Amino acid sequence: MASQNMDPAATTAASTAALKGNESGGSAARGSVSKRLQQELMTLMMSGDKGISAFPETDNLFKWIGTIDGAQGTVYDGLRYRLSLEFPAGYPYQAPRVKFVTPCFHPNVDDQGFICLDILKDKWSALYDVRSILLSIQSLLGEPNNESPLNTAAAKLWGDQEAFKAYLHATFQK
Amino acid sequence: MAAPVNIQTPSKTWELSLYELHRSPQEAIMDGTEVAVSPRSLHSELMCPICLDMLKNTMTTKECLHRFCSDCIVTALRSGNKECPTCRKKLVSRRSLRRDSNFDALISKIYPSRDEYEAHQRRVLERLNRLHNKEALSSSIEEGLRQQARYRNHRVKKPTQESDNTTFSGGEENGDARSHLSHDSGIRGRLGGRGRQRQPHSSTETTRGGAGLRDRAGVQTTPTAGPRPGLQPDQVGHTTGLSTLNKYSHYFLCRYVKTTANATVDHLSKYLALRVALEDGHADGDPEDRGRDEGGGSEGTPGSGGGSSLGHVSEKQYTIYILTRGGQFSTLNGSLTLELVNEKYWKVRKPLELYYAPTKEQQPAPAPPSPQWAKRAALNFR
Repeated sequence: MASQNMDPAATTAASTAALKGNESGGSAARGSVSKRLQQELMTLMMSGDKGISAFPETDNLFKWIGTIDGAQGTVYDGLRYRLSLEFPAGYPYQAPRVKFVTPCFHPNVDDQGFICLDILKDKWSALYDVRSILLSIQSLLGEPNNESPLNTAAAKLWGDQEAFKAYLHATFQK
Repeated sequence: MAAPVNIQTPSKTWELSLYELHRSPQEAIMDGTEVAVSPRSLHSELMCPICLDMLKNTMTTKECLHRFCSDCIVTALRSGNKECPTCRKKLVSRRSLRRDSNFDALISKIYPSRDEYEAHQRRVLERLNRLHNKEALSSSIEEGLRQQARYRNHRVKKPTQESDNTTFSGGEENGDARSHLSHDSGIRGRLGGRGRQRQPHSSTETTRGGAGLRDRAGVQTTPTAGPRPGLQPDQVGHTTGLSTLNKYSHYFLCRYVKTTANATVDHLSKYLALRVALEDGHADGDPEDRGRDEGGGSEGTPGSGGGSSLGHVSEKQYTIYILTRGGQFSTLNGSLTLELVNEKYWKVRKPLELYYAPTKEQQPAPAPPSPQWAKRAALNFR
């Protein structure tokens, strides 16, 4: 009988409001992440950085494909690598998952394309963005950390830059 | 001997950087001097580096003095390392932060209509979320144009005295909350005293902007920008921004154009003529406004009045000038590209600032600017 005392219009209004509230609450977090990604995309496109680029892979803003050109003066000069970046819902408080799509022979990259880089793990800061990640990986290419190699063969060969370069270019596949 | 003793026995180390040790204090501006700040540097000052948005409930780290939104820094501390996201200085807890209400006050002073700005940004974002891939970027441009056409009708209802409004963003705050900060049309046109934005629907710049953007998706190419709803041309790295300022009647007409550096001065004059024609056409159906800008709008556009006669629009109607170092107005040849103009006359790394005046009859020979005018030009332009 309680329902008789209630204004049906009010109930509908209330429930829609509640629904809406839920909706916006649920998407708020995701919204702020996409907002930030959107911003990053803009700056990235406008910054005109040489040697790096990134763009959402499909219409999912949470998965991007980036490219890195090997820096001049390194054995990677002339090679272009594709990487995938996946952003967790906790981005930018959590680091994105970044891996090489193009196979990369490098002391700190394993055969699955996983990268050993501190700023993608415990040294992550919310201030890093796609641009700084790609730039960091670009410089990692030229300056590997041979102390903790994922690819020991590459780490061993690194000492002989000529041989490294020859092997790298011979085995490079897009 | 007191001083040397103090220096030798520092009871407390401040760990000042070299810069901090040697800098001389900035004097406070007390006499109403106006300082021009580009929206880009302003934006980076007022931006939270975590959400990349305007600071909200600003918190400042007590030791290293870095600012964040309250929500952002609290979440960051909860989910990450206990260090300053900017400089990695240890941040033990929330107690290492303090509220920075002065900064909040500053922001609300500069952007009084923030809520409206945010609401608009949300809408734009929603739209972009649906359409953010490459093709969609270009289609959203058109969507944006339509959207703006709609806004335009709303805006008719609030005429404002924009020309009186000075600081920072050229006085858009009162006139049009939607446009400030988000600047979501690549071409920002501001008409003194009208408080509306207009968008030509068929200018070269418009189409080119769209194409340029698509090009750039993969590679970095020439700086180009056009009207891009929801995107922030403000952050356009090296776009040639162009503003024109008409010192003609009692108020100032500032137009903001983001365009490709390949565009020529003729493109610009034609675009200008087209816009003025469109605007005049609009003003005809808008009695409330007309009285207000009669003085500038129609007087300043001989032969271009009557919005229906867009066919007569020509690049000859306006002459474009640049203010040279010597303070002289120099006429720009129509075939010059903006890139060349930029290299030849402008040189500095900020948006190009140009002046225009109708070519016909009234040979402009712009009078030497009064000091006040010169100042306004610097302020308004951006």
